[in-house]
Amino acid sequence: MESRNAWVVAAPLRSLRASWDELVALFANVGFGVTLLATWALLTTIGVIVEQGKDASYYAGAYAPPLARLILRLDLENIYHSPAYIGILGLIICSMAAATFVKVIPRRIPRLHPVRIEAIPLHATIQVAGDVESVRARLAAFFAARGWQVRTRSFGGEEWTFADKSNWARRGVLVAHIGFVVIAIGTTIYWAKGYSGQFTVLSGQTATIPQNGATIALDRFAYRIDPIRTKAGIVYQPIDYVSDATITGRDGVPHQAVIRVNHPYDVDGTLVYQATYGFGIDFRLTRDGRPVPGPDRPLLEGEGFVVDGTARAIEYQRFVGTIDRTTGQPGPDPRPNDPGVVIEAFDGDRPVGSALIPLGEPVDLGAGYRLDAARYVLYSGFQYRYDPGIPVVGLGALILVLGLCIAVYSLPARLFVQIRPVDGGSEVGIAATTVKGYDVFEDRFGEIVAELRRTEPGLEPPGPAPSPAFAG
Amino acid sequence: MDPTRVWIDTALLEIGIAAYVTGGLVLLGYFLLRNPVLRNLGLPLATLGCAAQFAELGTRWWMTGVWPLTNLYGSLSLFSAFSVLIFLVFAYRYNLAVIGGFVLMLAAIALGYATTWNEGTMPAVPALQSYWIKIHVPIVVAAYASFMVACCVSVLYLVKDAAERYFQRRGANVRGAAATSGGPALDVALSASYAAGERGIRREDTPATAQAAAAGDVWAQWLAGLPSLARLDVMQYRIIGIGLPLLSIGIITGAMWAKEAWGAYWQWDPKETAALASWIVYAIYLHLHTRPEWKGARTAWISVIGFGSIIFCYLGVNIWISGLHSYKM
Repeated sequence: MESRNAWVVAAPLRSLRASWDELVALFANVGFGVTLLATWALLTTIGVIVEQGKDASYYAGAYAPPLARLILRLDLENIYHSPAYIGILGLIICSMAAATFVKVIPRRIPRLHPVRIEAIPLHATIQVAGDVESVRARLAAFFAARGWQVRTRSFGGEEWTFADKSNWARRGVLVAHIGFVVIAIGTTIYWAKGYSGQFTVLSGQTATIPQNGATIALDRFAYRIDPIRTKAGIVYQPIDYVSDATITGRDGVPHQAVIRVNHPYDVDGTLVYQATYGFGIDFRLTRDGRPVPGPDRPLLEGEGFVVDGTARAIEYQRFVGTIDRTTGQPGPDPRPNDPGVVIEAFDGDRPVGSALIPLGEPVDLGAGYRLDAARYVLYSGFQYRYDPGIPVVGLGALILVLGLCIAVYSLPARLFVQIRPVDGGSEVGIAATTVKGYDVFEDRFGEIVAELRRTEPGLEPPGPAPSPAFAG
Repeated sequence: MDPTRVWIDTALLEIGIAAYVTGGLVLLGYFLLRNPVLRNLGLPLATLGCAAQFAELGTRWWMTGVWPLTNLYGSLSLFSAFSVLIFLVFAYRYNLAVIGGFVLMLAAIALGYATTWNEGTMPAVPALQSYWIKIHVPIVVAAYASFMVACCVSVLYLVKDAAERYFQRRGANVRGAAATSGGPALDVALSASYAAGERGIRREDTPATAQAAAAGDVWAQWLAGLPSLARLDVMQYRIIGIGLPLLSIGIITGAMWAKEAWGAYWQWDPKETAALASWIVYAIYLHLHTRPEWKGARTAWISVIGFGSIIFCYLGVNIWISGLHSYKM
């Protein structure tokens, strides 16, 4: 009864084990791994072609309706964070792990074993003078002098000589796979512990990073844009953006900071980056010449306000540095020489018109209302990011490249040497295998054989050396 | 700007284009006729063009003090110079001059197209004012260039492989016809064989082509003079072996620069992701190249697809898709 129970338990376990083995074999299969990589490449390319992170209305406008529906239903507008994409990455890591443990590690250093010399495509046979032992010693010295690691083993009473080169490099693929996994770990650390965000600060105002409580007071923002004459005409080229700020971190001590593009500021491990800039506008509203409540702070591009007591709203769309007075349209120079703003008026949700209004020149909104874009205030846009996984990602990248270089640039090879006595001397059979097949070693093997023929005293009289035989 | 320096810049550019076009035609002649005189003439012309291009980029830097790779003109110039440089290394080291005509013609086209983006010299925008531009851009462009040279080898492989299949089919038909008519069967060994060649040991892996060549087929005789399939495969692998580590380092240095400039080492910008897609394609190549059953025509196709993805990443994304690397105005 007991043994029957054991059988009842063991059978599902055996079945489970067999299924597990099949699953591991599938994941370790190169074809499966390559299919996953191809799917990854395809999804990544879709993400390049389909603009990411836009509103549904954008896709409805940019694509034919069936295509837009497909994009939205398949999550293609947010593909890099979609379950499919993350799932593929997970499967690739599983496949790499399976391949690493099933194939890469067990096969990294193949055991020494005898072979049938003629069965290996790269092989040659040479007849040399001397008995087997003396030839073996000479060949060992020959290979050792050329950097080969020489070992001898006896199999069934027959001595074999093995010469290996770059055996250490057989671990290149393993190293590359480890690098990939380390990168994945570093990325996960950011997801688990890191944070990032962005904010804008008007000159003279202060902002706080919510995650670490650091404050950034923008003392001054400055930019430099130069007119450059090119073959196509004048181009206004941005040269520099600089934020002078006072930053207070955990220590409570204010620090003067200059933040530029490519020069972030580190506050308690969180890096603050110069990202954007713009012009905040101080709008003033009057009715019949008397001030009425309007926006209580300078507005940034895209912000708006409701005209008090009406259904009308005004949106500040964009800043115009220089108005071309001859056309009344925005000029090409973005610097605020003769500035204005483009505003759009709404009646409820319905746009009723837009206008370019010069700064300091009030515009009539009707019903006695007048709007004055009184002055501009520069603001600076910052990004911040705390990423404790970066050193790990960097290490992983280094390991990956190292493994890739080892795998690509080194050629681990093994020579199998069998020496047999023949009349008046010995017959040396040599075969070569490499981790990258035979073609890549063909020339080198030919050189080795030719050198052996030159240096070893042969049985044949001197004359043109016959070519080694290479079997297909 | 000093007119003498401008004149030197223009002259070097024109020397580069002229040398590439002339050298390309000469090396195409070598490809068709296999006359060593043409090779010995074409390779120095390629060297001259390559040197002129590097000198032109150096002159531009010297002229303006601005690193010359801040726009598509500089980048494409470096691309064509690197592609010719990599070709020259393989031509001299591995006797691979047969692809020179194609490489030089593509380099000339790239350089010609680059001139349409030549707006003169401009200071760099703030994001490009970083020492990383001197590290990241040359590495990535060198990777692109090596993939272009590898693609030329792959196409040659595919042509020779397709011809071999054609001659195999034709040989089988002739044998079949001979067998049914009771005539003498052709003594053709269709399996791969090895034979002694001009470099000591040379593999003959297109037996049907060799057989057809021996039977007097002119097209087969011409094909038989090309490097063996095995050799082309090894060359293609070696060139991709230069490109893939460079692309990896390029993506990593780009990520380091992005972290310094924008706060995140990876932002899923179209350029980053397109480069990642290309990297994956070449990673597939490397994986498949370890499998004997996939090595050969299939990996050659992957190399061609990979270069297509590089073109998309290099020009398609920069020109047509908005992003942090966009050249769209």
